[in-house]
Amino acid sequence: MNNTASQDNFTAADDIVVLVSHLTKDYFNGEEKIPVLKDINLEVRRGEMVAVMGPSGSGKSTLLFCLGLFQQPTSGVYRVAGVDVLSLTRTQQALFRRETVGFVFQTCDLLENSTVYENLELPLIYAGVRKRERPDRIRHALDMVNLGHRIRQPSNRLSGGERQRVSIARALVNDPEFILADEPTGQLDRENSLRVLEYFQKITDEARTAMVVVTHDAMTSEHCTRKCVLSDGVLEG
Amino acid sequence: MALKPRKNIRIEALERAGRSSAFRRYRDLIRVSVREVVRKRRRYIGVVAAIALSTAGFIVIITMGNDLKKNFNNDLDLLGGATIINPYFEKKSYERLEWFRPRTMEAIAKIPGVLSTTRVTLKTGAVTTWKDRLFGFNLVGVEASYWNVFSFNAAEGRLFDDQDVAEGAKVVVVGTDLARQIFGGDKEAIGQLLSIDDNLYRVVGILGGVRAGDRSQFAFLPITTAKARVVGISDPYSAYVRCATWDDVVPVSKALPQVVAASQEDRGLQINVATEPLEQVKRIFWWVSLFIYSSIVATMILGGFGIWNIMMAAVVSRTREIGLKKAMGALDNDILYQFLFEALCVTTSASLIGILLGRIGVEYMSHLIGANPPEGLFLMCLAGGLAFSIILGVGSGLYPSIRASRMQVVDAMRYE
Ligand SMILES: Nc1ncnc2c1ncn2[C@@H]1O[C@H](COP(=O)(O)OP(=O)(O)OP(=O)(O)O)[C@@H](O)[C@H]1O
Ligand SMILES: [Mg+2]
Repeated sequence: MNNTASQDNFTAADDIVVLVSHLTKDYFNGEEKIPVLKDINLEVRRGEMVAVMGPSGSGKSTLLFCLGLFQQPTSGVYRVAGVDVLSLTRTQQALFRRETVGFVFQTCDLLENSTVYENLELPLIYAGVRKRERPDRIRHALDMVNLGHRIRQPSNRLSGGERQRVSIARALVNDPEFILADEPTGQLDRENSLRVLEYFQKITDEARTAMVVVTHDAMTSEHCTRKCVLSDGVLEG
Repeated sequence: MALKPRKNIRIEALERAGRSSAFRRYRDLIRVSVREVVRKRRRYIGVVAAIALSTAGFIVIITMGNDLKKNFNNDLDLLGGATIINPYFEKKSYERLEWFRPRTMEAIAKIPGVLSTTRVTLKTGAVTTWKDRLFGFNLVGVEASYWNVFSFNAAEGRLFDDQDVAEGAKVVVVGTDLARQIFGGDKEAIGQLLSIDDNLYRVVGILGGVRAGDRSQFAFLPITTAKARVVGISDPYSAYVRCATWDDVVPVSKALPQVVAASQEDRGLQINVATEPLEQVKRIFWWVSLFIYSSIVATMILGGFGIWNIMMAAVVSRTREIGLKKAMGALDNDILYQFLFEALCVTTSASLIGILLGRIGVEYMSHLIGANPPEGLFLMCLAGGLAFSIILGVGSGLYPSIRASRMQVVDAMRYE
């Protein structure tokens, strides 16, 4: 019964996966209040790939952390597929993140002392995916970022671009509902950037995933369906 | 275009799915934790060494401590004679001096806590001549159990035994000073003939042992020989009762008068207990135990702080990893169990190494002091060591693990 209800909600909400309105986030430096996000309004539908641009320090990563439920916004509304995720408990938020969000960090962190395979396996372990299903999914995700041949390589012996691609593959391996990527092509050459972007386009098109990509790079924003600019704490476009 | 079926992102459904895969998830997470501990073993070398050594120390101290204590007690005890009670009869006015009958000795030996008993006859101012010189000494007639009661041994030759006593053999054991005065030395004395009251006795041994110093001017004959041949020797009016432990001394000395009275005439019976040495020995023993137990407690506390410290440091230095894992979908509990399991893994393997080291240490020490620690005690220590390591692992790992699991992802990721 819940299922059909959610289905109805979803179609009723016109395929809107992410809905953010009047979201604000202040940081505190001791007594001093630093308002980073002042009034963010954003809708992302299935199959959309939204580029968020803006000067350094404007709060792009902050916004992405809020969307990924890694930090609580100061105020505002945030719904994912009709669920008011800000009112969930900590554990429910973590469950939700596990099942629906794929996150690519700006710093493209990988687990040290682990192979590429183990890095991609961990999200599947957390999600409780059966052991025999894991290798195929991992290989598929790696092929998509052109790294199938590095599957057994220790992560600390990868180049910067390879690390970035591994962290992209890791964000995608568990088939998330929407993907948050912080400068996913920052360290890639043209050829690999294109490949990653085409892959992004393909999964947003075919799997109807929603995607928010933070970028400085014109080529990346060209590939997106929509462009927004974050400046002075407000998102425009 | 074929649309991918959408995941059900109702929270109740997610929670249900999480519960149904919990077993598989934790089994895999345990495997991952072990793998990570093995890969990062360098980080743990210090704490493993600390716990292994304190476990080994703990086992050696407990197992050997008891043994050392026992040896130590024995020596102390002999020095002070703290467990030896001396009942004797005192002469009352004109009446005849009472003496200990065999059946009385049997009854005394049956008092609980009595280890061994013996009785003696005495002649003070006995004399002998050797190469025309005259020597005075105390002559004591003793049973073979006498040696046992005072833990005497033979410094030279042998001490006479039950058979010599039964046969009334003409043998004598002499104190070391007496041997030196008469014969010029211990070795020279063995085999010589000593004449007392026109009887010749062969010197078979020189008295030795911790308390032999008190009796270095004595000569000892088998009690039967002394009764039969020495003129003017007393009846056995004095006896010695050795108790098993200090704690038996008081009850045994309380029971003695009744036991004697039940077996024979007890006129003039006196009980002599060495109260002062007893108290002194107990005091020393108390200090020794205090020392042993406080070293054990100190090692335990040090080991605990060690792992606590390392786990705390691990949480700080691994904040990025924690944040990353949460971003990859780890729940708080996944992180908590991971850290806890790593702590357990480290402490248990460390204590296994410690148990091994402890075993080697115990073997070596017992070889060194020629003791034989009870196997049961070692097994107890083994179980204790393992239990200790688990408590240590959970106890000192819990708080850091909880801290790690409560960490906000963004704080972890921004931590540099
Ligand atoms: N925990 C914090 N406490 C205080 N200020 C913070 C904190 N985290 C971030 N900030 C500040 O918030 C602002 C936005 O940071 P953010 O990382 O979101 O910028 P960004 O747009 O991602 O920049 P870049 O393009 O360089 O990655 C910055 O000025 C930063 O200094
Ligand atoms: Mg940023």
